[in-house]
Amino acid sequence: MGVAMMPPMSGLSDFLIRRGKGALDLWRTWRAIFSFAGKALAAALTPSVYNSATRMVVMKQIYFTAWQILLPFSLFAGLLSYVVIQIVVSTAREYGLSEYALEMSMRVLVPEILPLVTALFIALRSSSAINTEVALMRIHNEIDALEAAGVDTLRMEFMPRVIGGVVSLLALTAINSVLALVLAYIALYGFQLWSLPDFTRVMGQVFDLGIIIGLWVKCVAFGLAVTVIPVAEGLATPRMLFMAPISVLRGMVRLFFVLMFIEVASLALKYM
Amino acid sequence: MKWLADDAARRACLAEQPLAAVISADMPLRANLTAIENIAVVPQYTRNLTYRDAMDVAWNLLLEAGHSECAYKRDPALTHEERFVVKLLRALVGQPPLILVDRPALLLPDTRYPPFVDALLQRMEPHLQECWLLDYTWNEPLYAPR
Repeated sequence: MGVAMMPPMSGLSDFLIRRGKGALDLWRTWRAIFSFAGKALAAALTPSVYNSATRMVVMKQIYFTAWQILLPFSLFAGLLSYVVIQIVVSTAREYGLSEYALEMSMRVLVPEILPLVTALFIALRSSSAINTEVALMRIHNEIDALEAAGVDTLRMEFMPRVIGGVVSLLALTAINSVLALVLAYIALYGFQLWSLPDFTRVMGQVFDLGIIIGLWVKCVAFGLAVTVIPVAEGLATPRMLFMAPISVLRGMVRLFFVLMFIEVASLALKYM
Repeated sequence: MKWLADDAARRACLAEQPLAAVISADMPLRANLTAIENIAVVPQYTRNLTYRDAMDVAWNLLLEAGHSECAYKRDPALTHEERFVVKLLRALVGQPPLILVDRPALLLPDTRYPPFVDALLQRMEPHLQECWLLDYTWNEPLYAPR
């Protein structure tokens, strides 16, 4: 009498409601990310979508994401490549496997380390900026204002960022891969061209069609991830200024796990 | 002029005109574009103009409005008057059938706004189809008798 008894199922029900809400929120977030990716890709593949303003935003995005950092990032990637090549070459020599040193270093560097490092660099530099900008646009109502003025924001603001991000990632990976090949040649054969046929033959064995296709598919997936996730996360930001840093935090954590998932999945497909 | 008794009346008036371009404090300029780009981006999308042609259209409108000096400023650097002018030009460059200026006192807090808005609208008259000012009844004494 007097004390209300808690129904036995109420704790379980609270637990399920809370967990269910969390699961639903997560489901909605990923649905929004995939929905945005689908819209951006469909727009990117539609030639009539491109106009002078769209092309300009694509160029700006490539300039800020790839061109502005090309020299310092290439220097860093060159240094990293050279150190990795030297480690693999000296270890292979110690174990009497010198003839495999070039192949091993290239298998690790070009399809695995360089695309991942490039994606992480772009994520830190550009994705965080994109997430912040889109979140602030959403909070300040700039997106609705542009739409009201007759401007398609998918074409003007978001799809060009996706294209710019993918192109930048592909370009930086390609440039740094070529640099790694040159450094590998120099590390193994020194400054002479007589060993070029040997080098070319080994590279032909390492980079067969399957590896090349896998590399480009992975780079495109990285490029999509570093742009689609921050834009979708920014668009999902509630209209409150204090939510901007939370949106960036969430976006960057999701992006990190997606990049790692893509890398692990590509390794699993290749070696398992 | 459209005199409003309260916020509910204002909302109702805005809802009645879904095709109108609204100039409002709730509809900001794009922060990372300059004033002229904020205007030019509309004809780039609605009329597929090239960047150069769209910038020419925007520049000529700014000249007509008498505010070309603010062309290369971004939103935070604009004064309230300049921001109002750019918002009006962004709205009218899309050639909407009606432009609604929502609460001019909120858009121009440091200006005796009725003569300022009147003068600007007269200057831009060739480009305007119809323009209504939505203001509260308690601001009526600020306006000159019509």
